[in-house]
Amino acid sequence: MKEKILTKNFGLKNNYKIEVYLEQKGYQSVRKALKEMTPEQILEEVKKANLRGRGGAGFPAGVKWGFVPKVDKPKYLCVNADEGEPGTFKDRYIMIHDPHLLLEGIIITSFCVGIHKAFIYIRGEYEIVAQRLEQAISGAYERGFLGKNILETGFDLDVIVHRGAGAYICGEETGLLESLEGKRGHPRLKPPFPASIGLFQCPTVINNVETLSNVPAIILKGAGWFCRQGLPKDGGTRIFGVSGMVKKPGIYELPIGINLKDIIFKHAGGMKAGKKLKAVIPGGMSAPILRADEIDVKMDFDSLVEAKSMLGSAAIIVVDEETPILEVLKSLAKFYSHESCGQCTPCRIGTSWINKIVKRMIQGKGKKEDITAIHRLANNILGNTLCPLGDAAAMPINSIVEKFSEELESTLSN
Amino acid sequence: MVKIFIDDKPVEVKEGTTVFAAAEKAGIPIPHLCYHPAFIPEGSCRMCLVEIEGMPKLELACSTQVKEDMRIWTQSKRVIEARKGVLEFLLAEHPLDCPICDKAGECKLQDYYEEYGLFDSQFKEFKEKREKKVNIGENLILDCERCILCTRCVRFLREITKTQELGIFNRGVYSEISTYDGDLVNNNYSGNLVQLCPVGAITDSDFRFQIRSWFLQKGDSICPLCGRGCNISIEYHPGFARIQRKKRVYRITSRKNPQVNDFWICNLGRYEYSYFDENRLTNFISNIDGNNKGLDQESALQFMVQKIRKLYNTKKTSRIALILNSWLTNEELFLVSRIFRSDLRMERIFIIDPPQGEKDEMLLTAERSPNRKGAQEIGFDFKALNLEELSKATDMVIIFGEYLINQFNASEIKTALEGVKTKILYSSQDTELIPLVDMVFPTAIIAEKGGSLTNCEGKIQSFGPVLDSIGESRPEWQILLDVGKKLRINFHYYSQFKSPAAVLEKMEEEIPFFQKEK
Repeated sequence: MKEKILTKNFGLKNNYKIEVYLEQKGYQSVRKALKEMTPEQILEEVKKANLRGRGGAGFPAGVKWGFVPKVDKPKYLCVNADEGEPGTFKDRYIMIHDPHLLLEGIIITSFCVGIHKAFIYIRGEYEIVAQRLEQAISGAYERGFLGKNILETGFDLDVIVHRGAGAYICGEETGLLESLEGKRGHPRLKPPFPASIGLFQCPTVINNVETLSNVPAIILKGAGWFCRQGLPKDGGTRIFGVSGMVKKPGIYELPIGINLKDIIFKHAGGMKAGKKLKAVIPGGMSAPILRADEIDVKMDFDSLVEAKSMLGSAAIIVVDEETPILEVLKSLAKFYSHESCGQCTPCRIGTSWINKIVKRMIQGKGKKEDITAIHRLANNILGNTLCPLGDAAAMPINSIVEKFSEELESTLSN
Repeated sequence: MVKIFIDDKPVEVKEGTTVFAAAEKAGIPIPHLCYHPAFIPEGSCRMCLVEIEGMPKLELACSTQVKEDMRIWTQSKRVIEARKGVLEFLLAEHPLDCPICDKAGECKLQDYYEEYGLFDSQFKEFKEKREKKVNIGENLILDCERCILCTRCVRFLREITKTQELGIFNRGVYSEISTYDGDLVNNNYSGNLVQLCPVGAITDSDFRFQIRSWFLQKGDSICPLCGRGCNISIEYHPGFARIQRKKRVYRITSRKNPQVNDFWICNLGRYEYSYFDENRLTNFISNIDGNNKGLDQESALQFMVQKIRKLYNTKKTSRIALILNSWLTNEELFLVSRIFRSDLRMERIFIIDPPQGEKDEMLLTAERSPNRKGAQEIGFDFKALNLEELSKATDMVIIFGEYLINQFNASEIKTALEGVKTKILYSSQDTELIPLVDMVFPTAIIAEKGGSLTNCEGKIQSFGPVLDSIGESRPEWQILLDVGKKLRINFHYYSQFKSPAAVLEKMEEEIPFFQKEK
């Protein structure tokens, strides 16, 4: 591990207080960006850094910012802190342990795009995290890093923390926008994309907490350095959240492209005593599952696509041999059926239908044709829904049915 | 203009057109449930997915805009499979109670299943139980099990009436349409929700269980209940004459006309159709004693014409008073004008309409008659009628329509008419006026005759008869032509007309307002 970007201040007491953060040479990046760089230079640097979205889709952040049209309308930044993907808990750690790092990212991004109002949409359950953020934000206002005329550069920015009400769908960027506007969290049709018509019909940048938290380091140390921390086309590090049957579950900031095997067996201490590895979900619940023999894979966006899974939110869920795969399938089916917003047909009814079948299988009333039915229904959801939630449900369900069909069949009643 | 190919068929459309609209132009239907041309596309039903060359996923026809040289397939295997998939999902949670559903026969879900489905149900689970009969507003009954959550109703109330009484509640498969906190849908356009609903989720208590939709026939007409002239369909049971049913007309639905009413009609126009069949005057009535007691309609007309002719010959037509109404068509008012003003040189002509009502911000106007603008353009004024004046120096009163009774009470009218020798009424409804006059000729209603009406904005709209006239009743234009000819003042002029259309053609020549826009 070369150098930590995101977790360097983790564990530092009272780091959310502006005094403590400034002692760590905090806000240097903001100073550099606002005083020494033009928005164009910042955009160029972030583009060169190949900073890909950490929320799950992996879209290059610089490119996204570049889509914002130069129109005479207010522009907004929405920080996606909804962190609803099961298994994912990285953003919470960033916001608890280093909230000013996120704020620096927000300030630089807003300066780059010409934004004067940023919203942090944080999931409702993160009450303490939201309080922590508020404290950090008021500290930043006191020291003139937020508010009017930041660092005497004439740049204004307000940051508002908005707590969600507990819906997975509000982590989908357009569902988030609707919720932020005070409406029901239903995803919007795209196009138009939020970059041109987003929050309150205005151009809007939506980035994940971890994505924005990488920006200060890119500004301070340069795109070249940033790329060297990860892969040339996929720069920087990722915070891998490891959960499940490992000795040391938790978060690990590691270079992008590290082997999944190494994360589990070196960093997370390997399997718990007496447990054998059965499968790994490598990128949050919506990533297709990998069998034990498939985990020799590099953890970057492209390598995981090749392995027919996805890096997603880099949340690694480790499943051991003793956990019935049907239980994993049950968790999946129940979650997506519960969290489907209900707007479009295939997701609304498809996820519920699959959940009903799985529930019956759990009761020992499964039939062989139920397994094919799940596969068929998941395929009817896949690619046919309004937002990515349908795919997020269908892909992992399909992967389980395909890779563990024998085990599933063994649970059937006859 | 861009050129695109739909199912290999070249189509030229304006840039920015949706795939759906382009396909419509090419005559290629694309199944859809949530899409409605009046609303912003929602894209939630997923029925309109089509294949577009170069796109990895199927795309929505309702919201995807065409681009030059786009190649679209609406019937490919992938598309058909996706449609089947969507239908399978919808039907899995649908109650399939078509035998007792009012929408059966005109339900999109049924139609598409017949087109794309015809598969056996693989659904072995329990369907969600939901409320089957929720009163969500006057005449509106919501069946949550039948609802497919297309949200047309929600969007109508959000985007068109802007009253927002309905919303979606709960999440996922438990999502339901409902009103807020027990409030009801309460606006003058709520009836449109029934027509908008692609399935039988919102039904109309006015129509519920009255008749199966496939027994109904539809005819195009114009709503006469206010000055807007909304385009409507009259849906009636053609078996009126064979099987004794209480009524002919079972519902009024709106017909699209972007220039007048778009897709909508108000609740007044939708539900006020009882006058079609109730209280109708079917036969000629004579209240005269003595020699002329047993007159039939034909000889009564002759009797009336003779009376008029006599007054005309003695230059006493000023002793005739004529009461009209602007429920009469352009053609009828024109004939009245020719006969009574040009030929007979009469001046005592009054227009008595139903009293004004409330208007709203969408379609409904304050006036409750369909042709005031037409009457005005033909040259009638709307001077007030004084009953006493009517009784003075009057030998004959001819009344078209029953609206006098709305302005004055029966005893007032009786007193006023006491001294008048000949009192003639043309009416379609049985009212208190009947005993006050000597002769009553039954007339047809708008739905039973042809002609044209001029709406409040000056748009002239022609229509034909949808229903047969009942009993001895006749349209006023026929009666007036008879009067014109029988008076023998200008026989040839009236002989040239065989239909309302011919009258309108003449009007185009004689009155600049009625000239066709070129």
